Amino acid sequence: MSRIVKTVLCLAAALLLIFPCAALAQEIETIETIVTVVAAPEQTKAERPPCFPDPADNFIPLPDAENLAQGKPVLSGAHTDVYVDKNVNDGKTDTYWESKGFPAEITFDLQGSFSVSTVAVCLNPSSIWEPRVQEIAVAVSLDGESFTEVSPAEKYQFDAATGNRVRIDFEPTEAAYVKVIFTMNSSSRTGGAQAAEICVY
Amino acid sequence: MRRKPLALLIACMLACLTAAYATPGLAEAKPTLLTIYEGPKTMVTSPVATVLVNGYELFVYDVMVNHEHIWNANTQPTTTPMTYFDFEGRVQIELTMPGLGHPVESAEVLPLSLGITPEVRDGAVRFTVTEPGQYTVVLNGSVNQAVHIFANPLETDVPDPDDPDVFYIGPGEWVMDAIALQDNQTLYLSGGAVLHSIISVSDAQNVRICGRGMIDGSDYPAWNQPGSYARVPIDLNHAKDVTIEGITLVNSNCWNLNSYSSRRVSIDNVKIISGRQNGDGFTFQSCIDHTVTNSFARTWDDSLVIKNYSGSTQEITFRHMQVWTDLAQSMEIGYETDKGLTLDPEISDVLFEDITVLYNFHKPVISIHNSDDAFVHDITYRNIVVENALMQGDNGFNKELIEMTLQNSSWSTVRDEFGSIDNVLIDGLTVLNTANGKVPASRISGQSEDNRITNVTLKNVSILGNRITDLKALKLSVNEYCEAITIE
Repeated sequence: MSRIVKTVLCLAAALLLIFPCAALAQEIETIETIVTVVAAPEQTKAERPPCFPDPADNFIPLPDAENLAQGKPVLSGAHTDVYVDKNVNDGKTDTYWESKGFPAEITFDLQGSFSVSTVAVCLNPSSIWEPRVQEIAVAVSLDGESFTEVSPAEKYQFDAATGNRVRIDFEPTEAAYVKVIFTMNSSSRTGGAQAAEICVY
Repeated sequence: MRRKPLALLIACMLACLTAAYATPGLAEAKPTLLTIYEGPKTMVTSPVATVLVNGYELFVYDVMVNHEHIWNANTQPTTTPMTYFDFEGRVQIELTMPGLGHPVESAEVLPLSLGITPEVRDGAVRFTVTEPGQYTVVLNGSVNQAVHIFANPLETDVPDPDDPDVFYIGPGEWVMDAIALQDNQTLYLSGGAVLHSIISVSDAQNVRICGRGMIDGSDYPAWNQPGSYARVPIDLNHAKDVTIEGITLVNSNCWNLNSYSSRRVSIDNVKIISGRQNGDGFTFQSCIDHTVTNSFARTWDDSLVIKNYSGSTQEITFRHMQVWTDLAQSMEIGYETDKGLTLDPEISDVLFEDITVLYNFHKPVISIHNSDDAFVHDITYRNIVVENALMQGDNGFNKELIEMTLQNSSWSTVRDEFGSIDNVLIDGLTVLNTANGKVPASRISGQSEDNRITNVTLKNVSILGNRITDLKALKLSVNEYCEAITIE
């Protein structure tokens, strides 16, 4: 074979070697890609996910009046663990009172005589507090000794869908003391009464 | 003879052509499918790290980790960059570290078993991956400079947002107090979503949690701080038939993925990174039939945990996992094995398989601490690779590689009775690196003649490149209340 033919073949071989190597190097930088970019919505702050409508729209409404129980002296029997009675009128629904057994009475000293007509019993509104039923009665007194029942024992449904709260309305009555009496709680997690807030209007 | 050089030349040319054009990516024209997610408009990408995938820039999150490798009730976590994408095919990942403060001079891609050698050039780290998985890049030989890159498979079976049983959370930053899922409900958390909330599945069945988004607990102070409390990002309680797939849990203020007295739970491709007190990873108490696969846990407390709180544990599998334990144990059974004071408690039929421990900095990698009175039996560890066994322990104690004990602890509920441990198999344990270049100690310690550890078999153990075939070489101490402890 002539030297010319050999030289041409050698050059061709070299090119064949160089071309794929160069192509490989190039390929690492540009892998053919079909990309999907999932775009974020315009936001200026973290928001509630739209798939979870605000349940507050369905909460049982409370009277637009002063809560006469808030911050007032409160008296109850034994409580469970750290869930003391003062949690029940501290204005916060993420703290709660839990009695040790039944019946469980909790009494508010309103520090004055008022016309009262509503007691609201609230649990934490979070949906991780599953639905439950509590049996509740309300009695009032002017001297803290002699109480008159204004709402007999009745079973009330607590459900996060309605704010985990119940409203007990009765005829307007003069009262200096309000006693709320719990006789049952259907929750399997406790053997006592539970309330995050008790409001008197 | 004269024709040989020509034949050789032609053969070489054909071989070159065949080799070149048979190379993946050239002959195969199938393009890579890549899904990337914008970060929420309310957040900014990490100033520390920039990550490109096939030239497309990812949003990088700075998430809490903790480089303090001893318990501290008031520990302050730091952060490390984390990002994610989905793909099928081949991707080149390019990482630069503008916020590092000094040049990137070297890089290592974990797990080492993947054999990925990154290119480090001009301050950038480049490497190619072809399989979904969790990739960690350690820079300049410092574990305090690591970037976690989660390369997910493409999503399949995305739930229908119009289905009334589906809660569909799209990309963006979202907040709500808590989400309680009921029977037959699905929560979908899209990639690009950052959800500040907790998810509870209590007394519910047939529940699905999926997507590529993140649950972020950074809004909440650590659970043990004044005024705070534990907010577990995913909490199963007496749940049945639950699947959890694809999401990432970060910045939890306590435990991460908790399951209590639940049955038939399947978890796949879930990533956990925690840096705060009691930031346990996958933690199951008194559960039956749970499987965790293809998942990742970097934790500032036990990474994979099994306990008895109320009744027995049975049929738990962890398979094909990566673990990075900044604090406590990597694979822990105990300490609580009968916290609920139940009759004849057991923990049995547990399998840890194909587990890569990227790092353990604190306490034993493999541990059974039966500190109540349970019967712990039929526990298997298969193909465990410990890339860095750097256990420093607490004040010189609890720094074993393997520890099995029947002893009271501060977590014991039962103090006057003890249980037993029987039939434990460790088949395939490879340790690549240790703190001092020596074999770490191990310990098996029974309690009494009636409370023994029996039938523990070790096979295929290799430490620092040396096959270990006797208990002395393993530095395994065995007390008199043990029987049939063997190594093959």
